[in-house]
Amino acid sequence: MPEMIEVQICYGTLCFVMGGSAFELIGEKLPDDIKNSVLVKGMNCPGYCNTQDNGKPPFVLVNGKLVAEANLNKLIACIREEVANGTNK
Amino acid sequence: MAQTNNATLIRREIITRLCRLFVEGRLEDIDRIAIEMAPRNSQPGGSRCCIHKARAIIKYRIMALLGFNVSDETDELESLYSYALRALSSKAPVNGVLTVVDEACTSCVKSNYVVSNLCRGCLASHCMVTCPKNAITMDNGQAKIDPLKCVGCGLCKEACPYHAIIYMPIPCEESCPVKAIYRNAEGVEQIDYEKCIHCGRCMVACPFGAVMYKSQIINVLHRISKADKPVIAMLAPAVCGQFRASYGQVVTAVKKLGFADVFEVAEGAVMTAQHEAAELAHVLENGQQFLTTSCCPAYVELTEKQLPQLKPFVSSTPSPMRYTAELVRQKYPDATVVFIGPCVAKQAEARKYPGVDYVMTFEELGSLMIALNVDLQSFESDEAGEIWPERRFAASSGVLDSVAAYYQGPALKPLVVSGLHKKNIASLRRLATGKHDWNMVEVMACEGGCLSGPGGVSSPDVARKLFNAQSGTIVEQAVN
Repeated sequence: MPEMIEVQICYGTLCFVMGGSAFELIGEKLPDDIKNSVLVKGMNCPGYCNTQDNGKPPFVLVNGKLVAEANLNKLIACIREEVANGTNK
Repeated sequence: MAQTNNATLIRREIITRLCRLFVEGRLEDIDRIAIEMAPRNSQPGGSRCCIHKARAIIKYRIMALLGFNVSDETDELESLYSYALRALSSKAPVNGVLTVVDEACTSCVKSNYVVSNLCRGCLASHCMVTCPKNAITMDNGQAKIDPLKCVGCGLCKEACPYHAIIYMPIPCEESCPVKAIYRNAEGVEQIDYEKCIHCGRCMVACPFGAVMYKSQIINVLHRISKADKPVIAMLAPAVCGQFRASYGQVVTAVKKLGFADVFEVAEGAVMTAQHEAAELAHVLENGQQFLTTSCCPAYVELTEKQLPQLKPFVSSTPSPMRYTAELVRQKYPDATVVFIGPCVAKQAEARKYPGVDYVMTFEELGSLMIALNVDLQSFESDEAGEIWPERRFAASSGVLDSVAAYYQGPALKPLVVSGLHKKNIASLRRLATGKHDWNMVEVMACEGGCLSGPGGVSSPDVARKLFNAQSGTIVEQAVN
């Protein structure tokens, strides 16, 4: 069984209001080729929004890598990249 | 209808910055917001030409958020701080709820029909021959439409054998169900408040975010900061569905923001449902053919401005907001009462009814939480609140279900009208003629009900999913 890709969505109110609400539908919106290799989790606000250096919200971690200004398409691209990296190993 | 696109997010960012300045006692820095958001040497977003334009647009967005019509400006050098002080000293002008930020309006196209470069400049020139207004000429081997002569009939598009003429919609005009938004002589969109029903569709439709609702948030913050009278929040039934939090967490957060107490409008909705059920039985027994709901302010506005023939059939029962405001006044007679919901039109309803002082959107509530670092996830979810079945008022067919639950009278033949788009308005016009069997009609301006309101935090599909999980009631799929 391949390694699961861990997607951690910031459930903080700032991220949610600034676009993160769209991730409520991530379960329905992930394409077939990756949906079984993704483990979606939530996380309480880790404070990425406290400094502008991290970019703009909403913030999501894909296998521990920070994605700023995240949206569904961006996440899908990141997940695919992780899948590809995983199989190259 | 609420969508999380860049135009929405910029509006939320500005609301957040405005709230933060007020709460930190730095309102005099309000004119700096535009510079902070579009600093020197930054790239203007979208297709804006330069940062100066971007700053001007931000300035006028803030003007709207202070409660002013952008078109009311008389002195271009008047600072936002001056507008802010005016907003705090007296109530802002009360014509309309929506306003066009003319700097942001790109005047999409001058004419809805455009000749694309697929045009071959053919000999037959069907387009020229067909045009009843002689608006088309051949210029450099391609057809050209004179926007001043074009009346938008579309015959040229039909005539072109190469399909070279395209229809370019103007999103705001296309979305407006009552033709209230139109291009003025300068080609900039303008809202006719005699026609506008404040449904907010143009605001959601404009890809440049050029339509803004006029906010009252600075007045609410001012009342909270004065602390002389309790400021009470009334949360619309659609509150379940706005945030990733339980109702109890939202209540805790709202109190943290400075509201002295929180009422749920679903409580007032019980009274609306009971009274409307009694009214329905009464009018049907007295020979009236049908009754329509009255809780959607955009619909009521429609019957007042566009469909007077339907007005006699609109229920005279007060909306849940008004009943809830009465409950608030019983407990806190001197309170400042603030309705918080997904609705833009509610502000217009509140102006007509002295029991409610201010109206805020859920989007503003969320932005205020950000400004004050209030994180819903950090609160315990102990206060579940009473689970009113009338929370279903937030979803299409919910009002009807609630009225039916209290109704005793002749057999119900209910109809749900979900969404005041052009087609449904035509249906309502036919409804008024009385040639049908319906006797109870629920009308909501937003497709799927208030959960899809333009002032919501989440998109309609997300709001519905969260609402089903949080409301404690089972909500049927929207009837379209």
